[in-house]
Formats: sequence, C-alpha cells, structure tokens
Amino acid sequence: MTSRLIGSSALGCLAVVIALLFAAPTGPTGMLLRAQGPDIGTEAQRESGKTLYLKYCVQCHGEKGDGNGYATPHLLPRPRDFTTGKFKVRTTPSGALPTHQDLVNIIRRGMPYTSMPAWPNLSDQEVSDLAYFTKTFSPDFSIPENIPQPIPLPSAPAATNESIELGKKLYEENGCLKCHGTLGRGDGPSAPTLVDDLGHPIRAADLAQGWTFRGGSSREDVFKTMSTGLNGTPMPSFLEALQPEQRWAISDFIVSLSGSNGPGYTNLVVAKHVLDPIDLAKGAANFGSAPVARFPIIGQITEPGRAFHPPTTAVTVQAIYDAESIALLVRWHNMSAEKAGKNDPTLPVPPEEEEESATSGASKGGVFGDQEVAQPPAAADPFAEAAAPIAPPSEFSDAVSIQIPMQAPTGARKPYFIFGDAQNAVDLWFFDLARPDPLQFTGRGSADIAPNDTGDLSGVASYDQGEWSVIFKRPLRATSGAPFVPGEFLPLAFSVWDGFSRERGNRRGLTAWYSIYVEPEVAPSAAGPMVRTALLILVIELAVIGLVRRSRRSAAEVLRAKADGEGRQQAATRA
Amino acid sequence: MNILVVLAVAAVFALLRFRRANLLVWAGAWWVGLYVIFRFGFSAPIPSSVVSLYMGIVSIAILAYVSSSEERREEVSRPLVRFMTETRYAALLGATVVAIPALAAANVYVQMNVPLEPPLFPRTVHPASPTEITVHDKKIDLDAGENPYLELAISHPEEFRKHVENGRRVYYQNCVFCHGDNMTANGMFVHGLDPIPTNFADQGAISILRDTYLFWRISKGGPGLPEEAAPWDTAMPAWEKFLKEEEIWDAILFLYDFTGQKPRAKEEVHTQ
Repeated sequence: MTSRLIGSSALGCLAVVIALLFAAPTGPTGMLLRAQGPDIGTEAQRESGKTLYLKYCVQCHGEKGDGNGYATPHLLPRPRDFTTGKFKVRTTPSGALPTHQDLVNIIRRGMPYTSMPAWPNLSDQEVSDLAYFTKTFSPDFSIPENIPQPIPLPSAPAATNESIELGKKLYEENGCLKCHGTLGRGDGPSAPTLVDDLGHPIRAADLAQGWTFRGGSSREDVFKTMSTGLNGTPMPSFLEALQPEQRWAISDFIVSLSGSNGPGYTNLVVAKHVLDPIDLAKGAANFGSAPVARFPIIGQITEPGRAFHPPTTAVTVQAIYDAESIALLVRWHNMSAEKAGKNDPTLPVPPEEEEESATSGASKGGVFGDQEVAQPPAAADPFAEAAAPIAPPSEFSDAVSIQIPMQAPTGARKPYFIFGDAQNAVDLWFFDLARPDPLQFTGRGSADIAPNDTGDLSGVASYDQGEWSVIFKRPLRATSGAPFVPGEFLPLAFSVWDGFSRERGNRRGLTAWYSIYVEPEVAPSAAGPMVRTALLILVIELAVIGLVRRSRRSAAEVLRAKADGEGRQQAATRA
Repeated sequence: MNILVVLAVAAVFALLRFRRANLLVWAGAWWVGLYVIFRFGFSAPIPSSVVSLYMGIVSIAILAYVSSSEERREEVSRPLVRFMTETRYAALLGATVVAIPALAAANVYVQMNVPLEPPLFPRTVHPASPTEITVHDKKIDLDAGENPYLELAISHPEEFRKHVENGRRVYYQNCVFCHGDNMTANGMFVHGLDPIPTNFADQGAISILRDTYLFWRISKGGPGLPEEAAPWDTAMPAWEKFLKEEEIWDAILFLYDFTGQKPRAKEEVHTQ
C-alpha cells in the first residue's frame, strides 16, 4: 500500500517536473496537463462506475453522494460527502480537488480505523471507473480552472537523531501540539473543541499510533499530509509556512512517536514475579521491565446501547505479582481526562443514542454533551490565537474495567465475554476515574451486574499527556474471582469508557477474551531434562555397540575354535 | 507441488542408482527424500503433526523392506557392524556416540523454549441447529420452514426487490461493522474478534446452509450456540434483541442476493 503511494507521489513529482519543463516559457497557465481539460472520464466509464457505486458504496455515501447512506447514523468519522468536492487525502494543495490517482488510491487502500475499507478485490479499471463516477457528484471537477496539480514532493533527506530533535522543536513552535498534544497523543488543549467544515466533531490524529493515520503512516505519507493538509478538517497545509527540510524533520519526529510500524496486537499478557512487595504509591515504576501486551479495543455492538465508534483503539497491559498480590497496569490514550461526572457498568443508554452520529452536528452538541460547543470553521486554524472554546464538563467520567471468570475455568468453558452469563459469572474490577478507588462487581450478563465489595481490590489512576495509567491490585487468591496461580493461564478482558464521548454502561469499547499467564518465579530449567535425555540415549548407544562387538567377538571365537579344532584334527591324523 | 524440490530429490536418487549405492544408503536416502518432499515439496504446507505421521509410516515401510530377506538384513547390517567394530572407524564412532545425545539434548532445549501460547480450544464452526426456535413469541420450524419471502422472487418480483433492499438497509446498519462492506468478513472491528466473522462471499459458507439455519444463527447469535461452538467467545449478537422477524428474513435475502448464492435446498421428505 505504502509503496504504491510512494510510487504515486513519485509519479506526481515527475509529472510536475515534466509539466514545468514544458511550460516554462508560457508560465503555469500554459501547463501541458491543463491543456487536456478536466479528467472526468468517458460516459461508459462513469456508467460502469455508477453500477459499482450502487452495489458497494451507496450504503454509506448515499444515492446523492452526500454521505447520507443507510449506515451513516452509526458512523464517525462520517462517510465523505462527495458533493462538497473536499477530500482529506490528496497530493494537491490545500483546498484543491484531488487528482484522479488520489481518488483511486483512497478507494484501493481505504482509511485505517474508519468505516472506509480497502477494496483490494476490484480491478484497476473498476476502481478508476468508481473514481470517475465519484467526481460526478461535485460540479467542481468539470471546471477547467480546477484541474488539480499535485504539489511537489521533494526527495527525502535521511532521517537522523538531529532531524527528529529539530522536528520536535518545529512541532512545538508551529502549534502542532495545540491539537495533537506534546507527545502527539491527540490530547492538545484545542482537541476537544475541533469540528470539521460541516460542524461534525472531529478528533486530532493520535500521532503516537501511526497505524491509524487516515492518509498512511510512512514518512512520505506524513510529509504529504503535512504539505497538503486535510481538506474540510482543521488540519492545515504547511506547504507555504515551512520549508521542505522542516516538514521532513517534523515527519521524522512524528514517525518516531509511534515507535513501531504496527500496533503489534497480541493475545497474552505475562505476569512477572517481583521480589519487592508491590507498592501502589510507586505507580507505573513497579512494572519495570514487565513485558507490554497490546490488545485491540472494539465497539460494544452486541448488547443494546451499542457503541459503533469508540475513540479508544487499544489498551496496553503489563502485569506483576509478589508473594501475595497481583497488579495489572492498564494504559490507553485519551483525548481529555474526564475526572468529574459519574460512570457505572449498569448506567442505562437510551436506544436513540445509538443513532447519535446523525444528530451530532454542531447544532445539537451531540458527542460533546448537551451544551453548545460549536465554533465556526474559521476558528479551526491552529495559527489563530483566538481563545479556543473550552469543552463543557462532561456528564460522564472516564472509566476502565478488567474482568476475569468468577471461577477458574475447567476445560473450554468460559463466561460470556460481555460481563458473563447466568451460569458463569465474571468478577469485574471497575474503576470510575472520577473516584479514588476501584469497585468490584459480579457480572452475570449485561443486564445483571451487582456490586460485590469484598475489600480485596485496590488501585490507583493517573492521567498524563493524553494517557491514562490505571493500576489494579488484588490478592493472588481473593474472596471473589478466580485465583491467579503461577504456571497457569486465566482468561481476562477489558472495557474502556470515554466520558467525553458519553460512554457509560453498555456504550463503551471492549476487548474479546484474552489470556494472562502467571509466569512461575523460577522458570523450570531445561538442564535436567536435557541431561536425562542425553544420558538415556548414550546408554542405549553403548549397549548396542557393546552387544554388536560381543557377538562379533564370539562369532570370531567360534571361527577360531573351529579352525583350532580342525588344526588339532589334522595334527592328530598326521600323527 | 513444488517441482524444483521433487526434481532435486529425483536427481539424488538417480545419482545413487548410478553409483550402485549400498542398501543402507538407499534406506537413508528414501527416508530423507520423502521427508524433504512432504516438508518442502507441496506449495500448501502440510501440518508438522501430519508430516510426523507420514514419516512414521515411511520408517515402518523401510524397516519392513530391509528386514524382508536374509540378504537385505545382511546388506544393511554389515556396514553398521563394521562401523561399530573396526578400529579404523573408532574416532568417527566416538564422535557419533557423543553427537547423537547432544542433538537430542538440543532438541529438548528447543522444545522447552517455544513461545508461550494461550490454551487453544477447538470449536465446531457450524453446529447442528435445533429443530425449532421461538423468536418474538413465534415458533419457527427450522427443518420444514423456509424464508417466507423467498417465493416472492417469482410471484411478485417487485415486492421481492423491496425485501432485498430492506435487507440491505439492515445489513449496513448492523452487520457491516464485522462482516464488512463486501461481505468478506473484513469489517472495521475484525482485528479485535476471535472467532472471526463468517465470510459470506466464501462459496463454502452460506451456500451450504439452509436459510432457516441463518435465521437461527442471526436471531439467537453467539449466546444461542451450543457448548461445542464456544458461545462465550463469539461477538455475534442475538439479533432478536434489535430486529423484527421480517428484517432478519430480509437480511438473509440480501446476503444471498449480494453474493449471487442460493441457500441449500430443503431436503426432500420421502413419502411412501
């Protein structure tokens, strides 16, 4: 995917260079490409595109191309409204239309962590036809003056530690942190107030999770996004404001924030034994070098009160245990800490709220709560120093939970992964982050959750630079819930509530069942079994060789004896 | 079939034939050659447990062959006995005696250091359905019943298209998040699901199932599965909580319509 995009950007550069070479005497208006007229395809291509559109795209983008399809009420970010001619991911200047290839690329590879999927199974011609049909929704594509010209994407200098340092400095100086936050976790002070041109709430990208970037996560992709901006969103173009070297430096810094190319999701967290007693006051420092597991968070879309677009995409988990207790550190990125308000796994969610994205425009407040937080799109310019509206306090607080089976599972049988079932309860460790301590519940299904305060559970939570760090601690063997036994696996699952997005009760992000393994204090040594195996085989070998040699010897002796006997006989006859 | 690997093995065999190799060498060559073919000769890899099984059979076959006559036994054992008794092989014999236990010990070490994997439970993918279920207080016969709107395809095509369209709405408002825009189970939440959702575009999925079976799976979801299908792990909702009976049937019509497949036909009831 990425290589295709790099290829296309390279092609784009080449096209611009060639165009400039030819057009030099007559100036930009005489450009070769412009002389060809708008690239809107043939009637046949658009017709073919329409057929495909009506099969694959209309459900979200709507018959009129206005982003109002069947699925739209459940989607955030909302499907693109093609009638505006505004496209986020392009190779063209801010405000300009995308090139044909830009549209082809976005259909082909989709937009990560949104409802726009990649379409790898359509042929090149089909994707191109779809792009042509998409253009029919906006008259802008037919105007010759609007023919999009890719911006130059100069070749990249090598990424170095210095360029990353320089990028960090430029990142701070140019106001990127106002939306994206100091560590890039999408938690800048302006982030909660961002809306797109249509007044829908929009989130600043979490730059520490490159794999979620809509326009691609490679260094070249990031450079391109910074150069072109994302049309229709508060993300501006830095084409004029920053030199290419400066943009490359910021790109290097942004790429360095993710630390890896992918999320590296796993299915297991390993609890390490620690000698020092776990001290909650020491916080995350307790967890030292315990291995980090990352589990994907998905929307709770199984029980009524569904959450179709949880803002949390993953939790990272570490676990340790001492002589008496086990502790789990759960961390996730969160745009703004909601430390006021309430939360509870049993809070009801009215069914109308499932459809909320449809009504969450600026006029209704929607995701931002009941109060009006809209601002005109003009205020989205991050350079503007105008006081950003402060998001109103949320009705609901952030929260997190861990669930384990009430009894250690025998065989395959586990409780239902969403808060258990009538026959198989789960022990739920719930932390309303507006409160100082976690609470314990017993879950027998989403509709049957009861407080179960045994006093076994303790915890501590902190929020820093766009990340919640929450520690739960419980005795290895507790009054309630399955025991943690060294050398054994136990299922566990997580839920995360974002108060800002009005998540509470069933409306939340969750994980499927994963496992925790309590690693024995002393790992069983391989030396014993190795020596035993080697010795056993050695004994067998020596026995076989000994037997063979003995039988050989006795055979030889028989022969010799025979020969001796014959000799004696001969001697006797001679005598 | 990985033709290069097969050719390489055949070439080695031809060379052995040409050199008039000893039967012991042949036995070893067959064992190694077949292992190489099982392991690397097929483009679709054979599971290692199955390869072990095959190699067990190969070992027994080779043993049976070399011990099938006095001459063969003699031909195989002679070089081995010489290797173990003659003084000129003493150094090599010593090295072999040490190397074999060392390799076995190394194997034990590797076996004990495989990456940790959570316990895996096999589950039945399409478990048998009950004969009858109750959805919205109505009994649905899964054996004798069928989609009540299917017959409209012939009797009232326009009415039928309306049902398909309604099914399309239901699908994209509810199912798309997991089963995906083109039904290939690539919805936006798939990376967080295990088991993964059914791929409706797969020719071996809904076409081998009756539409009443789909009705059961959709209306009762994960929690309605029998134990052998691990109902506690699947995120498939019990759609009766969200959808009317008609909406479920319409969604089923749409699934078959979009993928160009047909439900498995009702089994003929044998009449006397």
